[in-house]
Amino acid sequence: MVKSFSISKYVAYTFLVLMCVIWVIPVIFGISTSFRSQTEVVSTGFRLIPETWVIENYITILTNTSTAPIMRWLINSVFIATAHTFLVIVVISLTGYGYSRMKFKGRNLLFFTLLGISFFPGVVNLIPSYKIIDTLGWVNTSWAMIIPGLAGMGNIFLVRQFMLGVPHEFDESARVDGAGDFKIYFSIILPLMKPVLIVCGLFSFIGSWNDFLWPVIVYTDVEKMPITAGLLLLQDIYGNYRMIGQLMGSAILAIIPTLLLFSFAQKYFIQSINLNSGIKG
Amino acid sequence: MKKAILPYFFVGPHLILFIVFILLPTIYGIYASFTQWNLMNEPNWVGLNNYKTILFNTESTFHVQFWNGLKNTLLFVLFSVPLLIVIPLLAAVALHHKRVKGKGVMQAILYVPGLISISAAALIWLLIFNKQLGITGNIFNSAVAWATTQPYAWIIIIVITVWGGLGGNLIIYRASLAGVAQDLYEAADIDGAGPFRKFFSITLPSINFPLIYTFVMTTAGAFNVFGQPLMMTDGGPQQSTHVLMMYIRSLAFGHGESIAGMASAMAVLLGVVILIISALQYYVMSRNAR
Amino acid sequence: MKKHVIQALILCVTLMTVLSACSGGSSKKTITFWTPLTGEDGAYMDQLVKDFNATNPEFKVKHVITADMYTKISTVLSTGKDVPDLAIIHADRVPGFVKQNNLEPMTAIMAQQPELKEENYIPQAWNTGNIDGVQYTVPLDIHSHTMYYNKDLLAKYGVEHWLDDNNVTVEEMLELQGKMEEGQYVVNDALLGWGMMGQIQNLNGDIQVDGKPAVDTEVFRKAYTEVKKLNDAGLMTPFGEDGFLMFQAGNVIFSTDGTWTSTAHAAVEGLNFGVTNIFSVSPDKFTNRSSSHLFAMLKNDKRTDEKEAGIGVFLEFLRENSMEWAKAGQIVASKHVIESPEYKNYMQSFFTSSEEQTKSLYIYTYEHYPYIAEAVDVYSNDIVRGNVDMDETLATMQKFVEDKIAENSGAQ
Repeated sequence: MVKSFSISKYVAYTFLVLMCVIWVIPVIFGISTSFRSQTEVVSTGFRLIPETWVIENYITILTNTSTAPIMRWLINSVFIATAHTFLVIVVISLTGYGYSRMKFKGRNLLFFTLLGISFFPGVVNLIPSYKIIDTLGWVNTSWAMIIPGLAGMGNIFLVRQFMLGVPHEFDESARVDGAGDFKIYFSIILPLMKPVLIVCGLFSFIGSWNDFLWPVIVYTDVEKMPITAGLLLLQDIYGNYRMIGQLMGSAILAIIPTLLLFSFAQKYFIQSINLNSGIKG
Repeated sequence: MKKAILPYFFVGPHLILFIVFILLPTIYGIYASFTQWNLMNEPNWVGLNNYKTILFNTESTFHVQFWNGLKNTLLFVLFSVPLLIVIPLLAAVALHHKRVKGKGVMQAILYVPGLISISAAALIWLLIFNKQLGITGNIFNSAVAWATTQPYAWIIIIVITVWGGLGGNLIIYRASLAGVAQDLYEAADIDGAGPFRKFFSITLPSINFPLIYTFVMTTAGAFNVFGQPLMMTDGGPQQSTHVLMMYIRSLAFGHGESIAGMASAMAVLLGVVILIISALQYYVMSRNAR
Repeated sequence: MKKHVIQALILCVTLMTVLSACSGGSSKKTITFWTPLTGEDGAYMDQLVKDFNATNPEFKVKHVITADMYTKISTVLSTGKDVPDLAIIHADRVPGFVKQNNLEPMTAIMAQQPELKEENYIPQAWNTGNIDGVQYTVPLDIHSHTMYYNKDLLAKYGVEHWLDDNNVTVEEMLELQGKMEEGQYVVNDALLGWGMMGQIQNLNGDIQVDGKPAVDTEVFRKAYTEVKKLNDAGLMTPFGEDGFLMFQAGNVIFSTDGTWTSTAHAAVEGLNFGVTNIFSVSPDKFTNRSSSHLFAMLKNDKRTDEKEAGIGVFLEFLRENSMEWAKAGQIVASKHVIESPEYKNYMQSFFTSSEEQTKSLYIYTYEHYPYIAEAVDVYSNDIVRGNVDMDETLATMQKFVEDKIAENSGAQ
């Protein structure tokens, strides 16, 4: 038994290390490219470490336009993504509870109808979506970024799937004790949902952070934009790849905040997983 | 009475949001598919004409585009979805191994590519696959121009997709595996079950529901593919990686006057395909669930 | 927990109200000016706007750069709100906007600013905004397809004389067949579609006959056949390889890209390069297919006559003071600028250095040009590389354009 455990350990390690190497090389290459001059990029072949380290790419990105308040953009992004994530968690935990634990007529039919509708590609719905935002008076405000995403079905589907896998014993015994839906929701289901809510929260934060098509349409004021839409303004209109190091640099800058959040959330996320298995085991 | 309205407190707020931000635009999109429309003026009702053209007029450019795009999109789904399920699942199982250390770092490494913007990611991989400057040319001595030769064009699209796209499913599997009761494994150990048996008889059934979720959502996402072929191959060679969403976008938001009515009809048809396939997946997988 | 959630919700609703209330319209004394000029171009335009505002005009200009301007224009036109007072659009968009009655003529402004007239601009840049005798736009620049050459490689292969008449022909380039060192090429395939559109002019052809698109024609066949010779002779960078980077790495004699990339080439140390006309399939004529950034006013009821006058002041200011724009690598449209000695310092001054040169900058004004350009961009590589049957593909391209036009004419 011990032997098989250690063999499986080596198999797991080999697989993971191999994968991580493959996964990390392009990232390192991208980072190192952001520290290489255009001359070096086009003349020397594939290198993980620059021959000469240059920071001009970053200097150009950070100074090349007077109209790029990068700090302001970062603050906007943090506000938008945080508010969005918070509301997502509120909405999906309520809705997920409703579709997995409450009994009402046509529950599954309603759920699958909504899910089915949400599968229709929204690409050509830009004009009606914009008209709705305009009617609400949200053009050029953060609400255009924070609210519409709450309507999505993906996270609710995930919460529902998770809840289907959680035995009904906990809530049923509470119900026998005379607890109402609100009490069951707050004191029993919500703690059980914690891992999946953290997962959804992380996805929502990153999704909101990385969205750049919609903010370009709804914002006019440069000061109000989130960072990803803002960085788009720094890139050259005729195919930004011409200045390779700069494109890499701006991409790296844009992921730093989400990366920090991920490392932070990951700790919490692993802890709460253990907590969850503790409850269940 | 109270019982009757209570569910709406839970699902009601979302239902309102859904109606305003998804249902109304979708209805408008479906309406637009029955019109000729250039995005600026009022749509002009043409009944079923767009659908007739796309489905039956074999002479029409739009017919050719739709079927070529749909075929390529299906190929992409077939190639990418199994990898986007199996690889993160294996990684999650390996990361779940009790004795493996450095889980956080490894998980982060696998997740980071998903944070990088598609244009930068595409550039990284195009440089890696570049004949003069990249790995394939210099180290592996490959004389092929990957982006313009099949099957390599598909390979680079799938590589960047899996590299950038496995993080989400990985995290879902990690969270699901953590919920699997440890005593099941301990009991299996006592029975002398090997790792494979444990995987198939304990791990997989325990995460059945999240697995259904990832399958359905990954497939639906793959049908909407757009960025990777656009950036890596621009649909080439000879439009053999030109996916449907690329055609839809260039019709609606391309350089000339917009042909949004036709684009909407293609989008609706794509939506129907996604719907049928997801429903089948869900039905088949749920029937086998515990 | 419950309390927290409710508190947070209340907070959110309050914030929402406050934020919505803050989103006021722009001031009556401000000209909202949208441009698609991302990157460094935007910074140069921003400087020009700043210079203008520093003159304390009655109407100040607020420059808004948008990354996806045409989609954004569609959205604001659909609601009729937030329509900008002034915008920069590309030459090939003018016929479409005018046909849909979305542009305000410049007539009133031209009456107030007598110097805003054809004589003061490069003629084709000015005329691209003239439809049925009505002037809808005032030009900022011409940005053109151009051919950069590597001076060291020209010397190495002893072909510097190709540049003598400013017309490098396909025939001349073919002289080097079989003489290139391994890994070196005569020309790359950057912006191949732009080049093909230029060759049509070199053959004295056109892309329309009586207003109908003409792609499946002898002229196109001839143009593709000639350019294809470069590929067949092994002189063109291999299909699928980044010819632009290969030029920067010093392995390609000619790079066919745009005026705006001179700054990127200049960033490569040791790349000894100059600029000339795009190679030609004809010894008698050379053409650099061009586009133009044009000032235009989208239809907007809220734009007062006074504001329109303010826009006129701004355009007149730019006519006299847009030297800054030359830094972006673009060919400035105002003669006042290009005829000043300072402009000679910029590489692109080559393209306005003589009458013949100026004429080589060709802007297509055919209504359905964008669809033709799209077809040419999609199929050119496959034709030139010999991956497809030329006749069949030309027929497909013709059908592609016709189908799109037919679909569109119903949308009015």
